[in-house]
Amino acid sequence: MTMLSSYLTLAAVLFCIGLYGVITKRNAVIVLLSIELMLNAVNLNLIAFSKYGINASLRGQVFSLFTMTVAAAEAAVGIAVLISLYRRRVTVNVDEFDELRR
Amino acid sequence: MDIVFSQYAWFAPLFPLAAFAVLTAMGRGLRTTGAWVATIASLLSFVLSLLIAIERLGDSAEDYTGRIEWLRAGSIVLHAGYEVTNLTALMLIIVTLVALLVNIYSLGYMKDDERISVFFGYVALFTASMLGLVLADNLLTLYICWELVGVCSFLLIGFWFRKPEARAAAKKAFIVTRIGDLGLLIAILLLYWNMPNHELDFTSFYNVFHSQSGLISTSLTTLIALLIFLGAVGKSGQFPLHVWLPDAMEGPTPISALIHAATMVAAGVYLVVRTFDIFAASDAALTTVAVVGAFTAIFAASVGLAQNDIKRILAYSTVSQLGYMMLALGAGSTTAGMFHLFTHAFFKALLFLAAGSVIHAVHTQDIREMGGLGRRMKITAWTFGIGALALSGIPPFAGFWSKDAVLAAALDDSPWLFAVGLAAAFFTALYMARLFFLVFMGKARGDARAYAHAKESPLVMTLPLLVLAVFSVAAGFVETPWNEWLGSWLTDGEEKGSFSSMVVISSIGASLLGLYLGWLFYGRTSAGRNPVAERLPWLTRLLERKYYVDELYELAFVRPLAKLGRGLSRFDEAVVDGAVRLVGSSVQAAGKLNTRLQSGQVQAYALYGVLGAVILILAIAGRRFW
Amino acid sequence: MLEDLPILSIIAFLPLLGALVTLFLPQGGSRIIRFTALVFTFAPLLLAIALYISYEPAVGGGAFAEKLTWLSIPLNMDAGLSNNGVTSYRLLFDYRMGIDGISLPLVLLTGVVSSMAALASVHIRKRRKLYYFLFLLLQTGMYGVFLARDLTLFFIFFELTLIPMFFLIGIWGYFGREQAANRFLVYNGLGSAFMLLAFLILIATAGFSTAPSATGMQLTFSGSYEVLFANLSDPNAAANLNSAMHLSDPLKWSAFVLLIVAFGIKLPIFPLHTWMLKVHAEAAPPVVMIHSGILLKMGAYGLIRFGAFLFPDQLDSWAPVLATLGVVNILYGAILACAQKEFKLVLAYSSISHMGIVLLGVASLNETGLEGAVFQSVSHGLISALLFLIVGSLYERTETTRIDELGGLARVLPFTSGILLTAGLASLGLPGLSGFVGELLSFMGLFDAYPWLTAAGVLGLLFAAVYVLRSVLSMTYGGLPDRFAAVREVRFVEALPMIVLTALIVLIGVYPSIMTDIMSHGFDGMIKLLQPGHGG
Repeated sequence: MTMLSSYLTLAAVLFCIGLYGVITKRNAVIVLLSIELMLNAVNLNLIAFSKYGINASLRGQVFSLFTMTVAAAEAAVGIAVLISLYRRRVTVNVDEFDELRR
Repeated sequence: MDIVFSQYAWFAPLFPLAAFAVLTAMGRGLRTTGAWVATIASLLSFVLSLLIAIERLGDSAEDYTGRIEWLRAGSIVLHAGYEVTNLTALMLIIVTLVALLVNIYSLGYMKDDERISVFFGYVALFTASMLGLVLADNLLTLYICWELVGVCSFLLIGFWFRKPEARAAAKKAFIVTRIGDLGLLIAILLLYWNMPNHELDFTSFYNVFHSQSGLISTSLTTLIALLIFLGAVGKSGQFPLHVWLPDAMEGPTPISALIHAATMVAAGVYLVVRTFDIFAASDAALTTVAVVGAFTAIFAASVGLAQNDIKRILAYSTVSQLGYMMLALGAGSTTAGMFHLFTHAFFKALLFLAAGSVIHAVHTQDIREMGGLGRRMKITAWTFGIGALALSGIPPFAGFWSKDAVLAAALDDSPWLFAVGLAAAFFTALYMARLFFLVFMGKARGDARAYAHAKESPLVMTLPLLVLAVFSVAAGFVETPWNEWLGSWLTDGEEKGSFSSMVVISSIGASLLGLYLGWLFYGRTSAGRNPVAERLPWLTRLLERKYYVDELYELAFVRPLAKLGRGLSRFDEAVVDGAVRLVGSSVQAAGKLNTRLQSGQVQAYALYGVLGAVILILAIAGRRFW
Repeated sequence: MLEDLPILSIIAFLPLLGALVTLFLPQGGSRIIRFTALVFTFAPLLLAIALYISYEPAVGGGAFAEKLTWLSIPLNMDAGLSNNGVTSYRLLFDYRMGIDGISLPLVLLTGVVSSMAALASVHIRKRRKLYYFLFLLLQTGMYGVFLARDLTLFFIFFELTLIPMFFLIGIWGYFGREQAANRFLVYNGLGSAFMLLAFLILIATAGFSTAPSATGMQLTFSGSYEVLFANLSDPNAAANLNSAMHLSDPLKWSAFVLLIVAFGIKLPIFPLHTWMLKVHAEAAPPVVMIHSGILLKMGAYGLIRFGAFLFPDQLDSWAPVLATLGVVNILYGAILACAQKEFKLVLAYSSISHMGIVLLGVASLNETGLEGAVFQSVSHGLISALLFLIVGSLYERTETTRIDELGGLARVLPFTSGILLTAGLASLGLPGLSGFVGELLSFMGLFDAYPWLTAAGVLGLLFAAVYVLRSVLSMTYGGLPDRFAAVREVRFVEALPMIVLTALIVLIGVYPSIMTDIMSHGFDGMIKLLQPGHGG
């Protein structure tokens, strides 16, 4: 059990760092990186549970593979959006992206 | 005796109904052809009615009833049916004869109207519904036809729709009679739920009410009878719902003769006769009928004294005579009531048609602008004179016998009713004398050119006058003190007329006095000055303004209702809709408040999300641990 | 022959098919779009007529019923029912369609009014493709509402009428159309929310049934109308299974009140009526034909189908309230109709007044009154459709329907004026026209239990005469203002629906059995539930 909790603690710390980055950083690239950090924390959790969980099985590891794939796709889309935004607004500062309000 | 034609009585309304369908479907293209179609249809109905009546003249012709199921809804079964009795046979004759004559008359009177086929279509529909009303074997069928004749009356009053007065009169006629109709409808509902087996036909009424079986309590009987009477009051123009009938004279004159003198307005009287078993079971109801009738008789006759429109005078006369009929019924004599209805139909139709002939000739309805027309329109003047004498109750004309019967019945009931009836008879003779002398005698007072152009109407218009004049002279002999044929035929000998020489003498005296005074005031000198009226100008004005009843209604009902409508309208706008708007705007305000949180910053949203999640986790954790 | 086909589904979904076909037609081909829409509108009408001919009231509509399993969701719960042998649970959404003597007249009404409204849509010139797409979509919703026999399905169809109607009001109406559309959506959305809540209560507590399955007994929760009706009408149904499942009285009451409010908004019942005034006044006439002719009747139908059938006891104790509300509706609507200057508003308030009569019929809770309510719904549907048809034709010619601006139209529009007068007379309850029968039956039904309320309601007929004659006569009689002297009589395509609707109004007015006969056994199941003495 101790193994599991240390993994979980690590994942939680990682997640919080990511969350902090997402919420506070002004640079959109950093925000994207922080999201990756959060996803990795989740992956860590999945793998930890697949090894030490109650119903230990390979499912969690398979799932984390999926997550990585999706994360890669998501990062690609995110960067693409970011680039096109940069082309229009010449900035990557998220404070200036308040399109949702309009 | 076998009854053959009675079985086919339902064809009588069918002919004019078919004519109406044809005229409506073919539209205006028919013009005079359509008029002939309608006239022939009414001729067929008349022939059939004649055959039925002849068949029933035998001593013991049985009543014939035929009915079909009209509507079944749940436990309710409503029938449509017809019944041929001596009473209905009499009414059939009256209605079809007058309808036929009015149709013929209208061929001349309405010749130049561009909507002549519409006119004849309406008349055909009216004839059909009126015959249906007469034949109906139950109250519901009667009610349906009752409403239909009402709507035909409305359509025909408003026939010249371009005149604002015609529009107002049509509206008034429909709405005022509808007040009575609602009473009748509620009476039907009451009867339906209280009669054994939910029967609504007249035979069952006879069985339940005539035997005093106590199935229905007296107070309920009185209520029902009064509600039915309310319907009759509306239709027959009795006080206080008489206001529509004089205004209804905005319609074409043949219509005034057919609907507003001879047939439809008499439907109220017919209704009371038809449901007389209910009335007979309640003294209070009978008294009400008698009092309302007597009051209406004298009230309307007095108003008739001061009017100047030839048709309005006749209209008030109609109201007054209908009051007579009601008085007779209230006094307990259906025979006298029906007898007066019978004779009145002829002489009043005659008077209206003759008045129409006059109007046709001089194009005005104001008797102050007429005068001396007797020399130019001989047939019209003579027939009008016969009608006037009949109405005034001069023997041996028809009106004398029936009025006597009414007065005799009234005397049987109460001397007060008799006195009122006698006074009304005096007024009747007076205003008829005034009318006759002002219109036909003396010098022409109006437009000289119009007088010069005035000439006798064509044969299609005078022929009906002559036929009706014959009836106005002769129709009274069906029921005389020495030969009570009509009474025994109608009531199977149950009712005996009462004869008293006092009645005869006093009624002749009153009528002659009225005629003499009329001659004195309006006939002797052509000036037409009335010394009584000049002495009492306030009385004249009161009568001219018809006792201010219209103004009173305007003040008491129309204006408050309009005010209520406008007030409720504001209430609907301000309060009901305002409450909705309040809810709407408060939601909007809350929304505005929330938009402050919507900065458009994704990061802010994420923060809210995280905060929410944290609260949620704390809440769950808290629930687990505490 | 009809029994072999899924005739009800065909009727309901033909317009949907038509809507999809319309989408593939070219934007500019308005003639072909209109033709397609007419075909797919008239086809269900013809099928409904065929259905009417082969329907036998004594047998009922069982032969036409359709049932398919649509969604079956296994539930993981333990309601403590294992002692009854129940081993598994599921939530079932069925696709159930059915017909009976109550819905058949309304289906026919939908067909007739939709067809006539489609014909009357000639005046629609803007964005025809979208118009007819929404119009057809709306029809599927309306047919579905009257045919669905599953709560979820009913709800879906009910909502399906909402959205197209919102756009039909908002895009093609007059000046204040958008506000009217919003008002419509907010009110009816609220009503739908109430209805959904009531339906959820019903499904979760009364919609259970057991059936043997592979592993043992299976307990199914569904919104099937038959199941609900059986469970609610049998006081022991729940007790046999488990007392916890019993639909307790407070719950029953809340479901009932929610339903009354939901359908009361639609009907509408005073004071929930203001939305429909805006719709009447601001939407395009063919849309109002549908709205006033059919959508309001969904309220009446819902009240009868879910109020009277599922909760007869609750309705019974609320009958005085409903009857009073009915009388208030009648008088309030009628008096306000007397005060309006805009003909469309006169008609709107007159609809409120007439729907009050429906309420009276429902409150009577006997077969006569309920048949009167359905009859009145159909009759008012035809009459108000006819009246708004005329309003549309008039507005095209005079560009106003204010009664103080119009006058003397009988001279230039004799045909239209004649039809208008006939419709007006039908509306004020003239015998021989359809309005009278519905009123008579409703009054007759209610009179025994509430004579005074009925008498007060009868008074509404007087006001009906006042507002109808006041408005109709001042529009058609009297002098003709000069600017209308050149107005031309209606074309054949406009006259045709007027003639058809008038003919129907006369037909069911003169020979009402044609409608009451098919209703004759529709209420049997419900009447049996009531205590003796309510049978009429």
